[in-house]
Amino acid sequence: MRNGKTLLRWMVVMVVVAVASTGFVLTSQEAQAAGQALEPTESGAPSAMVLFPVTEKANPAKAAMRPVVFNHLVHEKKISDCETCHHTGDPTSCASCHTVEGKAEGNFITLERAMHAENIAKRANGKTPSSCVSCHNENLKRRECAGCHAIVTPKRDEAYCAACHNVTPKMTDEEMQQGMQGKLASDEALATETVLGKKPVNRIAPQAIPYKVQIDGLKDDYEGCSFTHARHVASLMKRMENDKLADAFHSSPETLCQACHHRSPLSATPPKCSSCHKAAIDPAHPERPNLKAAYHLQCMGCHNAMKVARPQNQDCTTCHKERAK
Amino acid sequence: MNRRKFLTVMGSAGVASALGAATTDADAASHTYPYYEDSYGVLHDTTRCIGCRRCEKACQQVNNLPMPEKPFEDLSVTATRRRTSAYAWTVVNKYKVGDVEIFRKLQCLHCNDPACASACFAKCFQKMPDGTVHYEGSQCVGCRYCMVACPFYVPGFQYDEAWDPLVQKCTFCQPRTQKGQLPGCVEACPMDALTFGKRKDLIAIAKKRIAENPDKYVNYIYGEHDAGGTAWLTLSGVKPDKLGMDTHLGNSPMGELTYGALGAVPMIIGFWPVVFGGVYGVSKAKDAYYKREKEKAAKAAMEAALKKVEETQGADAAAKVREALAQAQEHGCSCKHGEDA
Repeated sequence: MRNGKTLLRWMVVMVVVAVASTGFVLTSQEAQAAGQALEPTESGAPSAMVLFPVTEKANPAKAAMRPVVFNHLVHEKKISDCETCHHTGDPTSCASCHTVEGKAEGNFITLERAMHAENIAKRANGKTPSSCVSCHNENLKRRECAGCHAIVTPKRDEAYCAACHNVTPKMTDEEMQQGMQGKLASDEALATETVLGKKPVNRIAPQAIPYKVQIDGLKDDYEGCSFTHARHVASLMKRMENDKLADAFHSSPETLCQACHHRSPLSATPPKCSSCHKAAIDPAHPERPNLKAAYHLQCMGCHNAMKVARPQNQDCTTCHKERAK
Repeated sequence: MNRRKFLTVMGSAGVASALGAATTDADAASHTYPYYEDSYGVLHDTTRCIGCRRCEKACQQVNNLPMPEKPFEDLSVTATRRRTSAYAWTVVNKYKVGDVEIFRKLQCLHCNDPACASACFAKCFQKMPDGTVHYEGSQCVGCRYCMVACPFYVPGFQYDEAWDPLVQKCTFCQPRTQKGQLPGCVEACPMDALTFGKRKDLIAIAKKRIAENPDKYVNYIYGEHDAGGTAWLTLSGVKPDKLGMDTHLGNSPMGELTYGALGAVPMIIGFWPVVFGGVYGVSKAKDAYYKREKEKAAKAAMEAALKKVEETQGADAAAKVREALAQAQEHGCSCKHGEDA
């Protein structure tokens, strides 16, 4: 801190952090103290609920997945027909038929399948049930999501599971046990605590990323390309604005970067494409596209999925000028 | 045994022996070529292909083939269902499936056990251990049986050559691969829609792509088993028949349909002359035997008649009859049938 400006900046940051954290503690405490309620739902269902892994067997080892706090309010606002999820027409809890082991009432479909099944076979009567995952996957086919999600499949790691399996750490073992037996008197406090305790994830700041990127490592028939990096990121961010699904799953500021900068750890300064993709295909990794193809597959993969009309895939000179021979 | 009965018996014997040969071939899964474990191939991913025709251009350049009338930059030609020819060893065609345009490259698929080789009686085609189906035209007679045999309609013929027309098709860029270079088309592809590698590795890569993107691909590697397996494999996002790939070729080499019958040809050539020659000899000998017996019987009757004449009318009369008979025989032989004496 050789100059006063930097010192001043640091002080401002610290003050802001201090105020913010006090504010957060206060709101959280206030919520607890006043029993602050969530916005009520139109249907009269609880606004949020804890989905315990309900089991009929004793589970003394407590070997069970962390419960999910389901925000009924948010989902209800998105879906017009209750039968999308309550597929029997009876708005009862999922676990009344689908338990960890499966029950006759639920056609022995386990809780895990009921929530995670993908590619569910179409039913003849048109009432194809959907699981959490199958419905979310359907949503990824929307134009604004399809671009990135066509070229990258999110890693199924702890963070991915934790996007839903997110009950507050304040839940006690006793509450968990009671919940699993279906004997917990009320899950309202836990659900409210979890929903209110969820901190919004900031988007990566436009200043933190390169404005333009010169892609010119491979000049042969064509000149390099001046890639409007910030413009592309901004365009994607704009499409994700107020998208609760994206907010829930894009769990860190750098998540968005991973669409193109895939397979490396999350970072705002990811490695270059050419770190892995070589000009000629690497015999040790024949499945890894060469550098030219890697660029084309990423760009065109996203553009095709987002139905970007121009440039056409074969209009080479739109992105890079023809090289004078 | 009459003629009809004989032919029936011999005919069924021939069919039975041919069938016998065919079943043994199929049972032992005997092929004209063994499966080369370390052979190379190319994986064509149609979900990546953008129909830019760079592969076609590169093929023309590296093989010194004449440039076509319409330049390679004219992409409209992909809309017509083009075939390979003697001067275009690879073509990329466009298929419209729903609203989506999908491009597929066609060239020699370099079958594991090629039908062209099984049809060629001049042995011009050979499956090489590196995976290439190699054509060597010095013995080629231009019968074009290979073109009829190929289930993919690939080989082309130099119809414009007056003196020594040859069959032409993709060489798998053997001159280049032997130098450690990639095939021209693979090197030129800007999308890595073509992956060169060992066939077994390519199958593993293809399966991985399908497993990682089950929505993107149909779970089928065209060429893994089709027509007995091919070195070039094709992945697609729609059923292969939508992209003009024949899915009714079966999983055994095309040649296997003909090995049995054609394998019986040497047997027939060797066996049938002996049998028919023998039958002919027997029937000839039989005729000769009957003739001899007949003459013998006639002679005996004659002798008996003469003896009767001698007994009843005396020796002189008998001598006269003998003389007359001898004269008649002589005369009868000298004049032709139907002439008066």
